[in-house]
Amino acid sequence: MTFDALADRALDTARSRGANYADIRFEDCRSERAAVRNGVVVTLTDSRSVGYGIRALVDGAWGFAASARLDDAGIDETAALAVAIARAGASVATRRFAEAPTERYVDSYRTPVDHDPASVTLGERIALLLEAEGAAHATPRVRVARAWIDLWHTEKTFYSTTGSRIAQTLVQSGSGLCALAVSDGDAQERTYPGDVGLYQSGGWEIVEAAALRENAARIGEEATQLLDAPQCPAGELDVILGGSQVSLQIHESLGHAAELDRIMGWEANFSGTSFLSPSELGTLRYGSPHVTIVIDNTMPRGFATVGYDDEGSKSVVDDIVRDGVLVGFESSRDTARTIGRATNACVRAESWRHVPMIRMCNLNLLPGNAPFAALFDDVDDGIYMESNRSWSIDDHRLNFQFGCQIGWEIKRGKRTRMVKNPTYAGVTPAFWNSCDAVADAQSWVAWGTPNCGKGEPVQTGRTSQAAAPARFRKVRVGVGYDA
Amino acid sequence: MRETERAELARRVLALAATDGCETTVTSGATGMTRFTQNAIHQNIASSDTTVRVRTIVGGRTGVAITNDLGDASLARAVARANEIAALAPCDDAAALLSLSSPEPAPAGAFVAATAETAPAARAATAAAIFREAEAASLWAAGYVTTAHSGITIANGAGTLVSYDGTTCGLNVKANGRDATGFAEYYGTDATLLDGASAGERAASKARAGAKPQAVDPGPWTVILEPAAIGELLSYLTDHFSAQAYDEGSSFLCDGLGRSYVGENVDMRDDCAHPLLLGMPFDYEGHPRTRVPLFEAGVAHELVTDARYAAKLGTRNTGHGLPQPDAAGPQPLHVVVAGGEKSIEELIAETKRGLLVSRFWYIRPVDARKTIVTGMTRDGTFLIENGRIVRGVRNMRFNQSILESLRSCEFARDAARTGGYGYDMVVPPVKIASFRFTSGTDF
Repeated sequence: MTFDALADRALDTARSRGANYADIRFEDCRSERAAVRNGVVVTLTDSRSVGYGIRALVDGAWGFAASARLDDAGIDETAALAVAIARAGASVATRRFAEAPTERYVDSYRTPVDHDPASVTLGERIALLLEAEGAAHATPRVRVARAWIDLWHTEKTFYSTTGSRIAQTLVQSGSGLCALAVSDGDAQERTYPGDVGLYQSGGWEIVEAAALRENAARIGEEATQLLDAPQCPAGELDVILGGSQVSLQIHESLGHAAELDRIMGWEANFSGTSFLSPSELGTLRYGSPHVTIVIDNTMPRGFATVGYDDEGSKSVVDDIVRDGVLVGFESSRDTARTIGRATNACVRAESWRHVPMIRMCNLNLLPGNAPFAALFDDVDDGIYMESNRSWSIDDHRLNFQFGCQIGWEIKRGKRTRMVKNPTYAGVTPAFWNSCDAVADAQSWVAWGTPNCGKGEPVQTGRTSQAAAPARFRKVRVGVGYDA
Repeated sequence: MRETERAELARRVLALAATDGCETTVTSGATGMTRFTQNAIHQNIASSDTTVRVRTIVGGRTGVAITNDLGDASLARAVARANEIAALAPCDDAAALLSLSSPEPAPAGAFVAATAETAPAARAATAAAIFREAEAASLWAAGYVTTAHSGITIANGAGTLVSYDGTTCGLNVKANGRDATGFAEYYGTDATLLDGASAGERAASKARAGAKPQAVDPGPWTVILEPAAIGELLSYLTDHFSAQAYDEGSSFLCDGLGRSYVGENVDMRDDCAHPLLLGMPFDYEGHPRTRVPLFEAGVAHELVTDARYAAKLGTRNTGHGLPQPDAAGPQPLHVVVAGGEKSIEELIAETKRGLLVSRFWYIRPVDARKTIVTGMTRDGTFLIENGRIVRGVRNMRFNQSILESLRSCEFARDAARTGGYGYDMVVPPVKIASFRFTSGTDF
């Protein structure tokens, strides 16, 4: 479907109504979800949504209106509404947040796909899920097992009054499974891969890479073993976090903290602000020298990889923390301007219905040099934790407490007995400064997060944090169970 | 889209399906939100959409297709896709058959035309009233003003045709000072009742009163939680009343219904007709939503069910189903907690030493089965000494069993509607004898 004529009409209408700048983003989104639970298909849905969102800028104030009406009258009405909304904002403005963009791109982008999901029949997908879910019932105490597949195909075309025309075809896929084991007074859940599954950009090859069948029985057995495992000890211990938990740690204690809209107070009433300030760029020691974290929205397989973001800026690679020092923020055009920098194209909208805003995209902790197994060598008394179960951090992104699904004690360099309910807590910069090793690229995975909430109305973002397991010294563990 | 148009659309879909085993759900909505920070509007939006969901059940096999393209060809494709999916799905012997439900009247006041017709300029004017209050107190405000209209029509091959139209509106204000913040909120159905000045003044007065906060030691504290705080806490308890959580063994109620879990003064119910929480009088299967007592005098009374779990557990269908088939199970979405005898001022006056908490943030389960959660205070936490609020305190993290907190508590009489990420609730302030804070912050 081509939207050129409708786009021209919308942008002309916005200009004629007084917009200093306008853009329109058409999206044709198809999503398929299949999920099974205890042998029953609980979700088998094919959804398609087509519509557009128009941004209009009037006297430094933005208006956004979205509609699914793809006729001339709908376009006219929606463009006029976007301008009217912008004008209403300008009428009570005590400050201006925006300037008219000048960038112009005429380009296209397509997610590399090895194996088209459409070539895998629904019957094959369900067979995979039922087999994996069945295998997760590895013991009689597994009360519930679930498995799921998510597939997205998005055709997105962006036009602006500066002459941009950007067409993108984005393909994202993911899958996972979980097992819930129950005994008197206790319930223990294990998920695989990671805590939500494996979500990346690409086709069916992403589902195959998850290897659900091959890991399901182990996950069911681990959930069962946790019921009888001793409680994770409490105290100050060394901690090794599995890669997906490091991903969660990046997401919560750096990714959100380094969003420039939060730093500027744009999310203050809901998602919160940040302990970071632009004045700390280049000086704040965020972490140890082992910690280098970069935005890379161009990387293959990154769940948030695109050619251009949702305000029409080209994807880039940009440092956020380099050798432990804070050097950048995730930004949009309007926010980057306030610190004298160019945007690093971290603007996304959940769908055509949603206003584009700064979102965490692909934010990666670069791998270190040590093999994963070597991380254990220097630990005399510690805990290895895998797969997130609980995550909470304050609205400045400083005081955090996270829990994992499973842990193992480490004694004199060896992983020993399993422990349940492992938790740890800390304060963001102190925690990252306690990192003294990151595993190498062999265990580095782009962990996608399909359910990141931000903004009002709340938008669900698809983010990614590539990470390998990492080691942290003298961490407070056992929090929440230590009373 | 009006009710008559949605009903006509639903009939078109059923005609295309040409089978008794088809259900269609037509949802339409329009939302406006004016979001602000630093006393100026920075995100200002409107969006509208109409979606058709088709569910077909053929011999215990279910398929679902969803589209927002309302043309005949698109609707026919959606029906065909739902049939195709159903043909490939495994047979679910426990799948509930579609049944006939009678239309239920919407609660009076659920739809207010003025709310549905609110113009962007009206939202901006309300925001401007908030800005004036903040500026007068040398503060800056962040928050939103929102108005929305949503409609739903459910029809199925068994003859069900039910519709509901509702409006919502809300204000959310955080007033920001140099070292303290304050919060106020309001939710309802009638946008003409939105009072930006009042909300702005409430938030600003909290921020002023909390200036120069001091740290207090973590540990067990007597707390008085305002509605936004206790509402978010209880939102992590309500899922335990889902028949699915009970059936799978993840709910604390697996220890038995009819048992006392919390104090005798705790009454909690699900009630979509409560005047402060008017909602859809039927569930997503079209079944009438009934008033369900969850806790009565501290005793766990009843689970919420849908058609599947009512049949499986041999209980009544309470009308709390989500769009089927669904992975989450039936949910109580209109929780109401009964108030007590005293005002919040009286509860404060009776407190020798404690903390007043305006709002929590980022609560997450630590041990869901034991109802232990962790979270942070935010936007107005105050020290109470000898019956008086004496100063603001820095924020703290807690780790607390929700059930334990309700075993020794006293609710105030004045309930308010509060809402957050996935919940709406009517709840009064509450005093809890012992609440465990485990660490602090420097803000």
